[in-house]
Amino acid sequence: MSHLREEELIEYFYSRGEVGARGNRHVESCAECAEAYTALQADLEEMEFAEPPARDAGYGERIWESLAQSLPAYAAPRRRWLRSGFWMGLSYAAACGLLVSSAFIAGTLWEKNQTSSATAARPAPPAPKERVVLVVLGDHLDRSERLLVELKHADVDSADMVSPLREEAKSLLAANRVCLKSATQGDDPELKTALGDLNRLLDELANQPEGLNSAAIARLQSEMNSDGLLFEVRVLRSRIPEGQAAGMTGEGGGKI
Amino acid sequence: MVRMGRNDHAVIEAVLAGDKEAYGALVVRHSESLFRVAFRITRNEADADDVVQEALLRGYQKLGSFRAESNFGTWIYRIAVRCALDKIGGRKVDESSRVSDETSPELQEVQVADWAAGPDRLLLSGEIGAMQETAMHGLTATERTAFVLRHMEDCTTEEIGAALGIGPNAAKQAVFRAVKKLRVRLAVLRVRT
Repeated sequence: MSHLREEELIEYFYSRGEVGARGNRHVESCAECAEAYTALQADLEEMEFAEPPARDAGYGERIWESLAQSLPAYAAPRRRWLRSGFWMGLSYAAACGLLVSSAFIAGTLWEKNQTSSATAARPAPPAPKERVVLVVLGDHLDRSERLLVELKHADVDSADMVSPLREEAKSLLAANRVCLKSATQGDDPELKTALGDLNRLLDELANQPEGLNSAAIARLQSEMNSDGLLFEVRVLRSRIPEGQAAGMTGEGGGKI
Repeated sequence: MVRMGRNDHAVIEAVLAGDKEAYGALVVRHSESLFRVAFRITRNEADADDVVQEALLRGYQKLGSFRAESNFGTWIYRIAVRCALDKIGGRKVDESSRVSDETSPELQEVQVADWAAGPDRLLLSGEIGAMQETAMHGLTATERTAFVLRHMEDCTTEEIGAALGIGPNAAKQAVFRAVKKLRVRLAVLRVRT
């Protein structure tokens, strides 16, 4: 039979026998442990320590008086709510407002930036107040070339041939004025010169006071150098790729 | 003037609501019991008074963390034990009562300082109580506090552990070590009788 260790005896003493049936039975049945327990019990019960001095009735009051001065009052719950809840909520609201404002401003700036860059990348759109006439220069030159060829080989004795020349000249004259005006604003001197010469020729053809006759046609062919003008028109036409509707800007920079 | 009559929880609610003066009722109600345990641990009246004030001050400062389901008396008692432990932990142990903490692992015996003054002279002068006091001073702060709480305050090892901030088993071992040391030191009294 193993005896109880000192720790177990100490625990047995302080638990007042509640340490368990084993401890109770063993101490009662084991003479050696019973003797050890009796010695321990005697030692512990004989210990006489000084009792705390009695405090008078005013002891607590005096302690409180010494403490009261140094204790700050707790904040009332409402004020604490104001501090922790209201102001915290207000802070969150302000932060959210600031965030939304920043996002709005950033978005506006971004949009403005995008718009300006897109505007810079694209050619300027035609101004709505300005009339834009789109004339295909290539077609105009083709028609002009045909007119000049017909003029060169015109049978001045045939009225059937002369009359269409005058009508075609009138038709081309309006288009040529537009092209000439556009060319005047551009930076192509050859085109400007050729269209200017063409304009004078067309004007003469369309507005001969006595009508087109052999003498007038001969004079125009001579004075206006229609052969040289035909050559200039062909050169200009060759600069324009076939099938491409090369345009020119009309009034206010519109593309012709 | 301290207002009395309300229970501890009602007083605490009032204090936390901003009524500082209400705390006076708790101070008056618990000061004496705090003084008793403080004196038993510190063995000094002035130190015990300091411990009472310190404990009640800390209690006021931590009142916001006090849980409603707890008992204020138990809560402030633990704070007082901690304050007392701090007090005796910082106090220099008397050289004449110095005890080595080295314990023989085989014999489980504690090495104590030699009592050069001799038991006969102490007994003859009727200073048994002083001898016990000296033996108490030979314990470490934790051992002494654990022993006081177990032997004089009838605390369980769980309560001692909670008060000291240690586990129940560590509290039990502290009590065992204290009892062993005291028995060795006070063995001379048995020889005399």
